[in-house]
Amino acid sequence: MKPKIFIPLVTALVIGIVGACIETGPGLAIAQIQEDAEALKAIQAPTSDQEFPVPLRPLPQTITPCRACHGPEKDFPVNFKRREDLLVHNNIRLNHGGIRLWCLDCHHPDNRNYLLPLSDGKNIEFEQSYLLCGKCHGTIYRDWRDGIHGKRTGSWNGTKNYYLCITCHDPHNPKFKPMAPMPPPKKPWTPIEVQAKH
Amino acid sequence: MRYDKSSDPDSLSGDRPYDNQGTSSNLEGKNELPDRRTFLAGVASVLGMLAVSSCSWQEFVQNNFQRMTKEEIDQTVERLKKEYREKYGKDFVVGTEGPIDNSLFGYALDIQRCIGCRRCVYACVEENNQSRDPQIQYIRVLQFKDGDMDFEHSTIYYDPQEVPQDGYYYMPVQCQHCANPPCTKVCPVRATWTEPDGIVVVDYNWCIGCRYCMAACPYMGRWFNFAEPVIPADKINPVTHYLGNRPRMKNVVEKCTFCIQRVRVGKYPACVEVCPVGARKFGNLLDPDSEISKIIRNKRVFRLKSELNTQPKFYYFFAT
Repeated sequence: MKPKIFIPLVTALVIGIVGACIETGPGLAIAQIQEDAEALKAIQAPTSDQEFPVPLRPLPQTITPCRACHGPEKDFPVNFKRREDLLVHNNIRLNHGGIRLWCLDCHHPDNRNYLLPLSDGKNIEFEQSYLLCGKCHGTIYRDWRDGIHGKRTGSWNGTKNYYLCITCHDPHNPKFKPMAPMPPPKKPWTPIEVQAKH
Repeated sequence: MRYDKSSDPDSLSGDRPYDNQGTSSNLEGKNELPDRRTFLAGVASVLGMLAVSSCSWQEFVQNNFQRMTKEEIDQTVERLKKEYREKYGKDFVVGTEGPIDNSLFGYALDIQRCIGCRRCVYACVEENNQSRDPQIQYIRVLQFKDGDMDFEHSTIYYDPQEVPQDGYYYMPVQCQHCANPPCTKVCPVRATWTEPDGIVVVDYNWCIGCRYCMAACPYMGRWFNFAEPVIPADKINPVTHYLGNRPRMKNVVEKCTFCIQRVRVGKYPACVEVCPVGARKFGNLLDPDSEISKIIRNKRVFRLKSELNTQPKFYYFFAT
């Protein structure tokens, strides 16, 4: 049984490394290759190191891979300066934390396929973005883990579907939008002269 | 005052051809067998009652749900399924699941998060087969001005373009599932009671419609079917529970049951699942790791009208 499982793992790893080389070009440092390989391993076993089962929400495929544009030797070098015109990403209007936050306070400047690491130094996958949210919103994160903040559906005594931070809050514009209420209940019948008073 | 002969009790009894004395002496003389006239009158009155109440004889002699045997419950469920199929043209599930072991349900609502969108109200109506006309909605969403908690100043008829409105907060109120419920104590026929898992339920077939429970409830958590409930056949929810969302009849009281048909099989109530801001929390009070237990332990909670000692299992809390 063992080799049967091992072979696809190795194949996937090799394909991943080769793919990363082709994508990023030969000028890539060896350390980067190792990092990518590790990341691939992590993706293959997404639930093993999680505290609790949460749905995985990868980035939409339309704007990935980020490395296609962002990278040490690509057209868009790292620019830490805050600016209004986001060029390709003009669909994003950053409205999170006022002027105190900028793209690179969450996104990794050197590897846009990841978010900034926590103090353990491990880059955060987009799928586990809630870890990064907890970096600033610690009390909310604690409540969310306990099921107090946010929403869960499913079974009160069994498997629950977790709603992630980004399921409800757009990370670039996290405030809840007002919504139209459903119609009010019908009033009980009242004489017209009384209705006029109220 | 004008004299009316027909309303005079003396003249009435005097004119009556068959007075009480004559009938009773007749009975005694024939050795306790009723004469043909009395017998026919009795049969006619029973048939008349059946016709007026428009229910089958099985329904007429049906027992209280708590006193029914297993076979009686099965027969009743089969009869109800047949009735509902005829009425709504769908195959119904009428569940009779008992309480899950070691469960006592509690509910928490974050009034800081609630935006008053009323999604819960309509999810509840669809899940629990409430009458659309006349309208019955188990959840009332009260709108208060900030800083005011007087119910007299609140309204349930707010209808702005968008919610939440600035300067207001919202408090949905439904059955509080009290641990010391005044409504079940006043029922003269014990048609309503608290289940072992803490849900206050009504046996609609046993309810006589006296509405004492509605008068006793300080939360207005009970509703009366003043007319035959109207539910469009395509909107009916065929997954039901005997003590929960099975279609009701005219002249019975109904109420929120924490969606007994859902929670008894492990699901969350419909209002919890639909809330777009996640303000509604449900869980087992006996489980120290459940959401509700953690909320009561760690957050500031209050219960409505706690001074009445009704001890609701419905908590309002402030998440921050």
